[in-house]
Amino acid sequence: MTDRLDRWADPPLLVLASLAEEPKHGYAITQDVAQTMGVRLSAGTLYAVIARLEARGLIEPLESEDRRRPYRITMAGAEALARQSERMSTVASLARERLSTSLGWAGA
Amino acid sequence: MRPPSGPSGATTPPGPSGPLLSRAALALYPPSWRARYGEEVRALLHDSGGGLAAVASVAWRALPAWFWPPRHLHDRPARMRASLATALMSWSMLTGLGLVFVQLTQFQDLNPPGHPEVRWAYAVFDVTLAASALVAGLGGLPLWLLMLRRARREQRPRDAVYLLLPVIAPAAYLAALIVTIRLAGGAQGVSQWWFLVVVLAGFAAAAIAAAGPGLALRRLQPRGPALRLAAAAGGVAAAIMAVGAVAIVVAVTGLSLWSRHFAGYHFGTIPVLYLALVVTTATVTTVSAARGTRAALAEP
Repeated sequence: MTDRLDRWADPPLLVLASLAEEPKHGYAITQDVAQTMGVRLSAGTLYAVIARLEARGLIEPLESEDRRRPYRITMAGAEALARQSERMSTVASLARERLSTSLGWAGA
Repeated sequence: MRPPSGPSGATTPPGPSGPLLSRAALALYPPSWRARYGEEVRALLHDSGGGLAAVASVAWRALPAWFWPPRHLHDRPARMRASLATALMSWSMLTGLGLVFVQLTQFQDLNPPGHPEVRWAYAVFDVTLAASALVAGLGGLPLWLLMLRRARREQRPRDAVYLLLPVIAPAAYLAALIVTIRLAGGAQGVSQWWFLVVVLAGFAAAAIAAAGPGLALRRLQPRGPALRLAAAAGGVAAAIMAVGAVAIVVAVTGLSLWSRHFAGYHFGTIPVLYLALVVTTATVTTVSAARGTRAALAEP
């Protein structure tokens, strides 16, 4: 059975987190997400996510001289990412604290 | 702001799938999606080696792109125009099928005794055909007049002819029909072969009449309230005609079961083929018109 806890690695969130650093084009996003977050985004998934995020105004395309168009996070995207990060951080802190209390877990 | 980071020479040569497969995968997407992201996806596939798995992931995501197109790619006027053109063509075919049905059943007074369902189905079909044509005509008239005026103002005679085809084609067909009946008809009407010729010519005339406004819609690209009204009216007309199609199915099924003198009775495949055509054209009409109506009623 697959470990469905990997749903935490929600592709839109990963793309927003990657673009929070600096504008990137598709290939640069996949490289960054793979290297820093350990998740491989397929081309189909990445562009489905980019289309959704652009439609919701969370990212925007930049001018490009070639076909590798870069994207940057918008203010609305930064706010959405910040809100979601807060929630995840709260859950992560709570999980660590409870693991530590009940199981004596000292962290990875 | 820092400049966008790039692959900085980290690209790998294209994989065995190559540009042909990536183009085939992208061909599965809606045109608007492809126009916006197609080149970028191809660049990504090229940079990442474009393996079969990557191309398959692109192909797999095409289906949701059709069902849930991103809002910023949704060209409402284009959607309404395309839906109107398709719905008009399939509606004309469905109407033609309905008129053949009327000619072969209702006008021949085929009413199996003890089964009033068939008579009711005739009545329902007559009412729905008239109501559907009325709604489509009234709803489409402002758009038709608008396009005709524009074609005249901008001196586009070809578009004017396209727009007049719904009048010219049926008129020419009826004139040819009258001449044919006079020349080839006897006391019992025309022969079976002449009837077949008349029916096929009728479908051709209906297709030409419907194709005219469809071509004009594509060339003149109208927008605005008249287009929205026509798209909304198309949805209502299609819904009414769908009821008419159900009436045809009921009548043909009833006649096949209860009347041995029904046209094509000893060849069971004829009613089945006819019903398959009715269901197919009714489905295409309803789906196309519903997509146009959704675009017409959507928030701008």
